[in-house]
Amino acid sequence: MLAIYRALLYLYPPRYRTHYGEEMLAVLSEVDGATNGNKPLVRARSCFREVTGLLNGAFHEQVRNIFGAKGNSLFSFGRFSMRSEFRFPKATVTLMCLILAGVLLTIDKAKAIQHSLPYANPQVGPIEPEQFTLLPLLLLTLAAACLGGVIAWGIVFAMRRSGVQRLSELDLTTSDSPTKLPN
Amino acid sequence: MRHVTDKHIESLPLSEPVLMILLGLADQPRHGYAILQEIDKMSQGRVQLSTGTLYGALHRLLEDGWIERFSENDNSRGKQAYRLTQLGHRKLQHEVHRLKHLTRLASTRVARGAV
Repeated sequence: MLAIYRALLYLYPPRYRTHYGEEMLAVLSEVDGATNGNKPLVRARSCFREVTGLLNGAFHEQVRNIFGAKGNSLFSFGRFSMRSEFRFPKATVTLMCLILAGVLLTIDKAKAIQHSLPYANPQVGPIEPEQFTLLPLLLLTLAAACLGGVIAWGIVFAMRRSGVQRLSELDLTTSDSPTKLPN
Repeated sequence: MRHVTDKHIESLPLSEPVLMILLGLADQPRHGYAILQEIDKMSQGRVQLSTGTLYGALHRLLEDGWIERFSENDNSRGKQAYRLTQLGHRKLQHEVHRLKHLTRLASTRVARGAV
């Protein structure tokens, strides 16, 4: 495993590697040694945690290397550094990307269908009417319901992340003493 | 809307890994693996940081001046100890105050709701 960890350390920026490379490798070696006697599942979990940690760390350090200290706020995963300012929910970005991909795919399919139609391409013969049974209709309905559910869940998740829902539930009428910050 | 009145509060609240690292260094200087072990012990195995996450956090804390490298007699095999600076101690104290207040407020509200 140490060879894999050593290889993954090369994904970090050279300056970072010079500062922490040997030290990290020593820690990884100790972690690896500590899990040696454990069950294979425990070892696999530990290895997975270390590999994903190194990949995540390398990505963040490369981003910091390119964009500076502010770079991490552009690509911050998880709650490593909580910030008080508004952050655009990543779930919304993912959802928007999925919708955009869906629209592009639909346009592409529509173009393909248009080209296959007889009036657009005289070489193509008449389209045979397809037998439409109940099963495809049911499957289509199920798929549409699942898609609707996923989209609704995405919207609710995005709202929860952005705090809109929590703000709407906040009871501002009660008179709690304001938060006194320590000196 | 959060109103920030103290420059020490600007970086609060801390994330759980950062808080755990600072707590792990609160009583004595520790090197990387010892910090991981201490966090594991403190959280009773609930928080298990990877080495990559730990050093990412240590790097930022060093840059911000919250912790510093500490020369130990045994710094063989690349071992390097870290300890809290005065600034780090102050930040940790502020976070503890903040959490205390939050817990007190939450307890009051929950008790009021249960009546």
